[in-house]
Amino acid sequence: MTVITHARRKSNLAKMIDSAGGVSVGVALAAARANIEKKRAEAMEIVEAQVTALEAVPVPATPGEAPSRLEQAYHTATGVIDAAGPFELRDICQAAAGLCDLIDAAPAGGKFDWRIVTVHAQSLRLLLTLPPEAIEARVRVLDSLRQVVNRKTAQTG
Amino acid sequence: MSDLGETLRDSAVINLAAAVTMVVDDSGFALDLTAQALLGFGIRTRYACRSAAEAIEILQDNPVDLLVVDCEMPDMDGYELVRWLRRSGLDPNTFVPVIMTAPHLRRSRVTEARDCGASFVITKPFSATTLLERIVWVARDSRPFLEVGDYFGPDRRFREMKPPGEERRASVIRKAQFEAARNETGARETQA
Repeated sequence: MTVITHARRKSNLAKMIDSAGGVSVGVALAAARANIEKKRAEAMEIVEAQVTALEAVPVPATPGEAPSRLEQAYHTATGVIDAAGPFELRDICQAAAGLCDLIDAAPAGGKFDWRIVTVHAQSLRLLLTLPPEAIEARVRVLDSLRQVVNRKTAQTG
Repeated sequence: MSDLGETLRDSAVINLAAAVTMVVDDSGFALDLTAQALLGFGIRTRYACRSAAEAIEILQDNPVDLLVVDCEMPDMDGYELVRWLRRSGLDPNTFVPVIMTAPHLRRSRVTEARDCGASFVITKPFSATTLLERIVWVARDSRPFLEVGDYFGPDRRFREMKPPGEERRASVIRKAQFEAARNETGARETQA
């Protein structure tokens, strides 16, 4: 196969990064974290709304309806990760990512156990409700979900 | 393991204030979060686009220095956008550093993520540190661009500067484990 190599020219980004002026990495990171932190309340409202939307995804009435419902659940779960991601809400992101993994691993046209969506929605609701200091309870919720993910991925390969 | 430890020490100074940056994300909130993080780094988002079509319109006439693109978007997704850009022949935008972000990477899209020509793909959740680390990494990335069959983008083999973050390449991990085991055996034999 023919390979054409374009010698790399120094990008503008490369030229400017070491130019005079700028900010220290410590200051830049602190400013970025502070900017993001201002969005926490809004992010929590979005997470809450996405979990409500996930709970409301109707169980597919027919096999033909399943792909679009699964897609809807997948997008809602990615919406949770999008909003919760920068706020150290690791358990919530982990729960949502587990659901994404299972939906992604579902064989096309195959049967999907909808209880997986229900249990993830309930677990996300519980994680949102639990106080931050309820670490053991949070760990138990994630452990249960992990077992579901492991069992189901073993079944689907 | 990255080579960025020294670059990202707290007292190191970076200057990205003049970077013309475009962020593309169909989620307004996710776009805002990325823009806020970039602002903390001293980067003002010049172009905030909610769709690939909007981004293409701007990229055709305006050079950018950094592109941050969401992978999954309705209609034209981020992979298609980056693939288009690399093949667009728009100089200098064709060669612009591109960081792609995704809340979840579908198994069926892993190949697409590798082959679309992005400089880096990061999955969420990621911290401000991770984002800055990747930006600094793509800024210093000296890999040549290759045209191989359908692929146009940075050389996917890392020869000089290793990628930032934890090593995930199975062959490298296996080699490291093998060498660690061999060293351990050697040390035990020397003691005996």
